[in-house]
Parts: sequence; structure tokens; C-alpha cells
Amino acid sequence: MKTSTNLTEPQGIIKNMRQKRTTNLFWNQQQKIAPYLFIAPFYLLFVIFMGYPLISSLVMSLYEMRGFQSRIFVGIGNFTDLFRDPIFWKSLKNTAYFAVGTLTLQLPIALLLAILLNSKFVKGKNLLRLAFFAPVLVAGVFVAIIFNLVYDQRAGLVNQEFVLFGKEIGWLNEEKYVMPAVILTGVWQWAGFNMIYFLAGLQGIRQELYEAAAVDGASWWQAFIHVTLPSLRPVIAFVFVVSMIGSLQLFDLPFILTNGGEPADAGSTIVMYLYKNGFQFMRLGYAATIGWVLFFIIAVISIVQLKLLGIFRDE
Amino acid sequence: MFRLPIDSESFPLGKGPMVMLILFLVSTLFIFGRSEEEGKNLEFWIFANTHYEEYQARVPIFEAQNPAVNVQLINFGGTMHDKLLAAMLSNFGAPDLVEVEITSIGRFLKGAIDEVGFVDLRPRLESEGWMEKLVVSRFTPWSYRGKIFGIPHDLHPVVLLYRDDLFKAAGVEMTEIETWDDFIAAGKKATRDLDGDGKIDQYAIVLDRRTESDYFSLLLQQGGGFFDEEGNVIIDSELAIETLEFFTALFNEHKIATPVYGTWHGDPSNFAAMQDGKILSILSPDWYVGILKSQVPQMSGKWKAISMPAWYPGGRRTTTRGGTMIGITKQSKNPDLAWEVLKFTYFDRPGLINRYETTRIIPPLKSAWDAPIFKEPDAYLGGQPLGELLIELAPDMPPRYQNPYWSEGADLLNDAIFAAVTEKQTPREALTDLAEKVRALIAKDRGRWGDM
Repeated sequence: MKTSTNLTEPQGIIKNMRQKRTTNLFWNQQQKIAPYLFIAPFYLLFVIFMGYPLISSLVMSLYEMRGFQSRIFVGIGNFTDLFRDPIFWKSLKNTAYFAVGTLTLQLPIALLLAILLNSKFVKGKNLLRLAFFAPVLVAGVFVAIIFNLVYDQRAGLVNQEFVLFGKEIGWLNEEKYVMPAVILTGVWQWAGFNMIYFLAGLQGIRQELYEAAAVDGASWWQAFIHVTLPSLRPVIAFVFVVSMIGSLQLFDLPFILTNGGEPADAGSTIVMYLYKNGFQFMRLGYAATIGWVLFFIIAVISIVQLKLLGIFRDE
Repeated sequence: MFRLPIDSESFPLGKGPMVMLILFLVSTLFIFGRSEEEGKNLEFWIFANTHYEEYQARVPIFEAQNPAVNVQLINFGGTMHDKLLAAMLSNFGAPDLVEVEITSIGRFLKGAIDEVGFVDLRPRLESEGWMEKLVVSRFTPWSYRGKIFGIPHDLHPVVLLYRDDLFKAAGVEMTEIETWDDFIAAGKKATRDLDGDGKIDQYAIVLDRRTESDYFSLLLQQGGGFFDEEGNVIIDSELAIETLEFFTALFNEHKIATPVYGTWHGDPSNFAAMQDGKILSILSPDWYVGILKSQVPQMSGKWKAISMPAWYPGGRRTTTRGGTMIGITKQSKNPDLAWEVLKFTYFDRPGLINRYETTRIIPPLKSAWDAPIFKEPDAYLGGQPLGELLIELAPDMPPRYQNPYWSEGADLLNDAIFAAVTEKQTPREALTDLAEKVRALIAKDRGRWGDM
């Protein structure tokens, strides 16, 4: 019987060559495989924690749960039910109200704050930046609890002012005041956060542009309209889209502030209605349907916004 | 010497990934390979802080009596019900014992009765003779289709708490009140504009018009409900409509009720209004007295309690609001041991006395009611023995039938009450619409998968 020690010289060379070729082959393969292995964790996690739940929820939207153990296929039944559901439409209206309120109130305030903090004339900029940004560090639940006291009908800070005019406003008790109260709370919490984006955008604008505008005799307002705003377009688009998506996903703030959307669903939002259906009513299929409808709403609005803001334009 | 079959140099991509893989394998082994001492460990989920504190003190006594047993108490707070739902849906991770709040139990009863995730406790209760020892009407919130899925933690009888000083100042002796008509007459005297500015400064009663809490308590007192024992929707019954008409009249016709300040009766704003003397009375379950004591201790001695006014002379003088059950899940590996822990925490006399001491909650175990503590004067109520009144009312508690559609129903009932009180709909329209919606919901489900 031959062993490796008994190999003749040519045989040994052949074996060494083969070993070398195998090593090279392994190395070549490893070089090819390595990049995929490096990115594999992300895709693996994405498939497990995003891909699978997404597909699963899409499938679930075509079913309805029957208790904990079984489900029944209902096709597009959940979708047709949803479009006939008055509470869904009310929640959608409230959510849209919040989104519009946020975009029209919060973003101009954020831009104004950024411009003020970017000017040479304001003192204590670092302190002010921290002060305006600080609310975002507070969890939504705590913000809601704090503002519950702020809007307190009798002793709240807001009514302490308004009561002077003879009206004790039930901010969280009267339907018409509920969403304005939620919007104002949202402004308090997020204006400082968006201010940071605008500030970064403002600081990125080349000074030469302003100098050129000044040489051309442009006023401050003209420089703002023709230099600042166009230069900020990508930032404005980003903040617009992110704020809109965040607004459409609104949940914790009104949920705590209005004790689950009361009175009369005046504080109900789409995600709150999704939560109620999924967790309180055990209608998981219907909740999944709400989730997908919300996804399409967000996708369409985001694409329209980006198009209108010219983000898809080649420049 | 032990050597790994592969060294760190030849491992694909080097030492780092090898260490990560080893850590992954070790942690996987740790997580899934833990040896479970069968029948020795029990997990008990709780959502209420006061209950958690009580069991933290009581469970070690049980463990000392049963050295081989380890009960792990987990307080998840308000998110517990969602976690339990997820555990039951995935058929994995539910505790052995769990407490469930009365407005949350409905969702756990959806589907076929055999698929409910709790053990039916009726056989154990009957074979050990517990049914006779407890207030039977209190099993209704935790029962469905003949099965009992939980043991009541409490009774929660409701009394009328009132400001004796302010009613007396208005010339009203509240102890003479017997019916709601008496109360309305008294309320009209006590609801007053004190400073002559044209605005009411004190209201006879505070009621929640945002949620079902006060209206539903009144309806239960009348003997009505949302669902009957067979699961039929009865919220549009004449009784329910009359009760809502009465409820709205307290605000709009008699003008003796003020809406709750803030979002619910436990809102700081509501407490502030009480301290300002704006609120003269409130329908209060036993647990609410505990909340008042902890949140507005400065009002000690200002409140007194009477039985609720009846709907007619000689009628029921109480109702019920709120509640918690304890159940054993079907995922429990040791339901017998769980049953022993349950009995220790729910049926043990010293524990129940301790519970009353800290929370003012009257236990459903009738044999505990003769304890002296229930007759002790309560300083918060100016020396009145509240326990004695609550126990006197306890046997007359109305049943509250449970139903899988309660969550949906209650959500819509909140809207109906608000619509009626704000006069957007008449009480009849509001409740008829509501009943039709809930019936349609049930009919749709039955159309899909037949009778459950």
C-alpha cells in the first residue's frame, strides 16, 4: 500500500500543484463570495424582519382571523369594507388635517427659526439651537402627558391665557379643538428638529451667491426668494416628504392625548384605527388592509411631492 | 489538548467572523437549551401596579410554603394585553397565570369557544365548592358560552361620593336621597352660580360623556346591558334608550351635570375641579376611592358616601364599574400548580384584607367580608366606614355579560353617548344606529364562518 511518504518525485509535484490549484480555486471563489457574505446580514435581516412580514401582511389583508387559531379567505372583502367604513374616512380626514397643519405651520416656523439662528445678529445660538431641538428628545408619550396638563381645561397653561377672554376652552373635550391641539403639540415637538435640517441647508449655501446678488442690487427678500429658497430645494423636499410620512403615521401623540381618539373619534388617526382593529378588536386582516392602504397613500403622496418639488429633474 | 477542527486563520474571512459565529452558537444554545425544571417555575403576568405590589408581598409567602416552586411576577403595565394577544396568536410565550382587565377580555373570546386561550375554570370551581363562596354575578364578565375563563379579582360596587359640606350649604341632606328623582331635585338646589356672574360655579354631579363609563354603569344598575346572556345585542332596548335619555337630560334639561374635566374621571383637571368645589358628587366604584386618596389626599374628610340613588323606590342601589380577572392559559405546562397560586392570591383571607387596606377593593370572597377592617371608620370619608357600605351593596351587584364584540361595541357606544349628549342625535337614534352597526358586524362574521 502506498502512502504519501512513498510518493515518487513527479507524483509529489503533481499533488503539490493540485493542492495549489485547489487553494487558488478556494481563494478565487472566496473573493467572489466574500462581498455577498458581507452584505448578507443586511439582506438576511431584511428578509426576516421586513420582507416576510410585508408579504405576510399582504396575504393577511386577504384573510380575516377567526379567533386565534384559524382564518378565512375573504379576497378583497376587507378593502371594500374599508372604503365603506365611516370611521376609517374620519381617521383619514383627521390624519390629513394633521399633515396639512404640520406642513403649513410647522415647516415655515422651522425655516424661520433656522434663518434666525443662521443670522449674524442673534446671540447665544448654541443655547437656542439646543433649546429648540430639545423637545424632540422627549418621548412622544411624555409629550402627550405634558400637553394633557398644558391643555387642561381649568388649570392648563393655554387656558390660563384664553380664560382672560371669558372662554374656558375644552381643548381635548370639544371635537373642533382636538386636532388643532394635536397639531400645536406636534409643532412644539418637531419644529426644532426640522430647523436643524434647514440650518444645515442654509449653511451649505455658498456666500458668493449672496455677494453676487448684492452686487446686482438684490434686496434681502429678493436674495431669499432667488438664492436661499432655490438652494434649499433639496432640503425642503426632504423635510416635506419626511414630515408628510411622519404625519401620516401619527399614533402615540393623539392616542395618549385624546385617550384613544375620543371624543367621537375626533382624535382618531389611520394608524390608531389600525391599532384598534389589530389589537383591540382582533381583526388582524382588516388591520393589515389599513396598513397597505396607508402604504399606498404615503407612496403616492411622496412621489407627487417629489415630482412637484422637481427632485426627479435632471440637472 | 482539545483543538477546534478549524483554526482561526483558515476560517473563511478570518478570526472576526469565527468569533461571531461561536458567539451566535453559544447564545443560541443558551436561549433554547436552558433546562426547564418541569412544574417548578410559573410565570404570572400583571398589568396593574397596585396588584403587582400586592403580589410581590404575597407570593414569597406561597413560595416559602412550597419551596420547590418559583413564581416569576412580570408587570408589563398597559402593554400587557397586547403582549398576551401576540403570545396567544403565536401559540408561544404566554404565561401560566395572567390578569386581564374587563374591557380587554372580549377580544380574547373571539373565534370558536374551544380556541379561547384560557382554561375553563368551571370544573375546578364547582368540584372544590368555590362557586357558593363567591359573588356569582361577578363571574359574568369572565364567562362565555357556559365556560368560566377567569376568577374575579374584585366586585367594584359603585356608590355616590358627595361633598356633604357643599350640599348642606345648599340646603340638601344627601342621606335622605333614595331615587334619581330625589337626586335631580337636590341637584337643582345644589347646582349654583355663587358669584352672580351668570356662570354655574358648582355642579351637582360630574359625568363622563366621552366614554361609556357612567352611562353604562347606570344601564347596568337598571338591569340592562349591551349584550344579553345569549350574546344578543340589546343596546337599543327601551331600557337602554330611557337610560340614555335620562343621562342626557342631566346635562341638557336639568343642567345639574358637568362633563368630566380632562379626559376621564382620574384626570388631574378633574381633581382640580373637585378641589375648587366645582364638583359636588361622583359615581364612584371602590377603586376610585383608592385613587382619590392617593391623588388628592388634601381632600380627606370632605367626601361622604351613600348608596346610588335607585331608579324607583326600593330598587337596586348600586352598579359595577371596572374589574380584573385572573386566568390560567392553555399554554401553561402546569395548570394544577397555577391553580394553587391562583387560590393563594385570590382566595386567601389575610391577602384580601391587605388588598382592601391598600386599595379599598372589596373582594368577591364572601367569607372575607366579616373581617373587622371592613367596619373600620375611613378617615378620608370623615370617619364613615366605607367598607361596611360597600359590603352591604355587594350582594346586589348587577351581572355584566361578556361578549367577543364588546371592544368594538364599546368604541361605538362612546360615540353614541357623545352624539346624544351634544344633541347631534336623539338617544333613540344614537342607540338604534349603534345596535344596527354591531349587529351588522356580527352578521358579517357569521356569514363568513358560520355561528361561532
